[in-house]
Amino acid sequence: MLTFDHVYFYYKKGQPIIDDISFTIRTGEFVSIVGANGSGKSTVAKLIDGLLLPRSGTVKLHQLDTAKPADLDEIHQQIGFVFQNPEDQFITTTVMDEVLFGLQNIRVPREEMRGRVDAALRAVQMEDFLEAMPHQLSGGQKQRVAIASILAMQPQVIIFDEATSMLDPQGRKQVLSIMHDLHRQGMTIIHITHHMEEALTAERILLIHGGCLQFDGDPLTLFETVAITDYQLQLPFTVRLHKILQLEKPLAVDWKEGIRSQWSIN
Amino acid sequence: MVYQLNNVSMNYSLRMALRNVSCTIEEGKWISIIGQTGAGKSTFVQVLKGLIANIDGDYLIDQYPVKRDAKGQLMVIPEIGFVFQYPEHQLFETTVFKELSFAPKQLGLSSTQITERISKILPQLGLTEDILPLAPFQLSGGLKRRVAIASVLMMEPKLLIVDEPTAGLDPVSKAALLQLLKKWQQQENRTIIFVSHQMEDVAEYSDEVMVFHEGHLMGQLDTCTLFLEQSHLLEKIGLSLPESVQFLKIVEELSGEKIKVSSCREQEIFEKVLPLWRARGLQNV
Repeated sequence: MLTFDHVYFYYKKGQPIIDDISFTIRTGEFVSIVGANGSGKSTVAKLIDGLLLPRSGTVKLHQLDTAKPADLDEIHQQIGFVFQNPEDQFITTTVMDEVLFGLQNIRVPREEMRGRVDAALRAVQMEDFLEAMPHQLSGGQKQRVAIASILAMQPQVIIFDEATSMLDPQGRKQVLSIMHDLHRQGMTIIHITHHMEEALTAERILLIHGGCLQFDGDPLTLFETVAITDYQLQLPFTVRLHKILQLEKPLAVDWKEGIRSQWSIN
Repeated sequence: MVYQLNNVSMNYSLRMALRNVSCTIEEGKWISIIGQTGAGKSTFVQVLKGLIANIDGDYLIDQYPVKRDAKGQLMVIPEIGFVFQYPEHQLFETTVFKELSFAPKQLGLSSTQITERISKILPQLGLTEDILPLAPFQLSGGLKRRVAIASVLMMEPKLLIVDEPTAGLDPVSKAALLQLLKKWQQQENRTIIFVSHQMEDVAEYSDEVMVFHEGHLMGQLDTCTLFLEQSHLLEKIGLSLPESVQFLKIVEELSGEKIKVSSCREQEIFEKVLPLWRARGLQNV
């Protein structure tokens, strides 16, 4: 369980970036964090990971407190971070070394390493690329290697910070599908995104605006009840379609079958 | 100005990035470049700007070959502006005014000429003069991006290449930026080359689309022709149609009627499909 309790954060006193945010994310949840540029989403992510510390309030992963230096190592191991641009985190010359690097740093026993690398690469379907150079892979493949290097650390929570925004549609689909696979296996997924189609696939959405939590609930309730364009966001296509056609029931994320069945009902 | 490539190929050490590409880019159009990662899109726009010097084939501007240096290599084409992904990473001056003045100063423009250009370009990007004394790094992501693009427009490019210019922007900032670029392109009768993975944006803003796959130019087509009549081209290379166009096609299939549209913009598609949808409902009441 991950808990934000009355968290404030600022760089300059009197100008809060995060202004009294509280929420709890249960183990195994898939949560999307949405909001305009500069709303505070990435700051929330950094506070979760202990990369930033709250000025007041607490951020806890179970009983581990990000404000306690003694807890930080454990928190960093339990929470993985996948960034927008995978190239920012590549430092070695082969995919295998890339995935091994984190394990060497946390001193995983040598005999355990190879098993973890293979399992992590299998989970993202990159097991055939062990000797490949990360920089020669496609955008989607690079991001999958970045995810594998996080998975090898066996975290409980993975934060994807706009991790699909630089990918082509195929790469986006692959990465989103991996997020859902990991979620089905019980991992807690936090997905920060501007793509409302992707946010719609989450179990729960947190909408942040001006450093405050404006909405915390299920995606359909957000899109049905909140004027999200006021927050610089756009309704997903399926919701736009539902509204414009004045359908009684919302359409699924994959709206095509819904349109066909509605047509036959009409 | 008309830009023309004839049988242009470009070979990186391990692979052919462009294979016999021939195309003509006319003035005053918004042309989108689409294709999977590694299809040759970035290489193509870099060749267009003259950033890749050693190409095979011919590159002509207004029917004249592009200048080459003593070694026969292509030279950078100054009248083409290039906005890279995340252009705000290139900001470095202490104020927006200095940032916008930097390149024109290198060209030897006078202070008066620079001020005139700034006054013209700021409103084109939805900016006001209040922003000039501010440090670029203080600005929000969307504003930073606009300042970075404004600094390219200060060079008054005849053709502007924008490579995923909205990556990382929230949906409203993204739409605002694209609308401003469209307005600039139409008002100034300039050409925009727009590299994008977002089919909805391609449908919304483009006059023409160039489709790349494994270094080949598979087609250069009017936007509606591509999406409505030649969509097999996209299916073949694993690209999806914009969702609004998929919706149109499903309703056409269900109704057995051809729906005439003059553009592939979502709003027009909804406007044309809605009466058919409603009529269907009424018939069965």
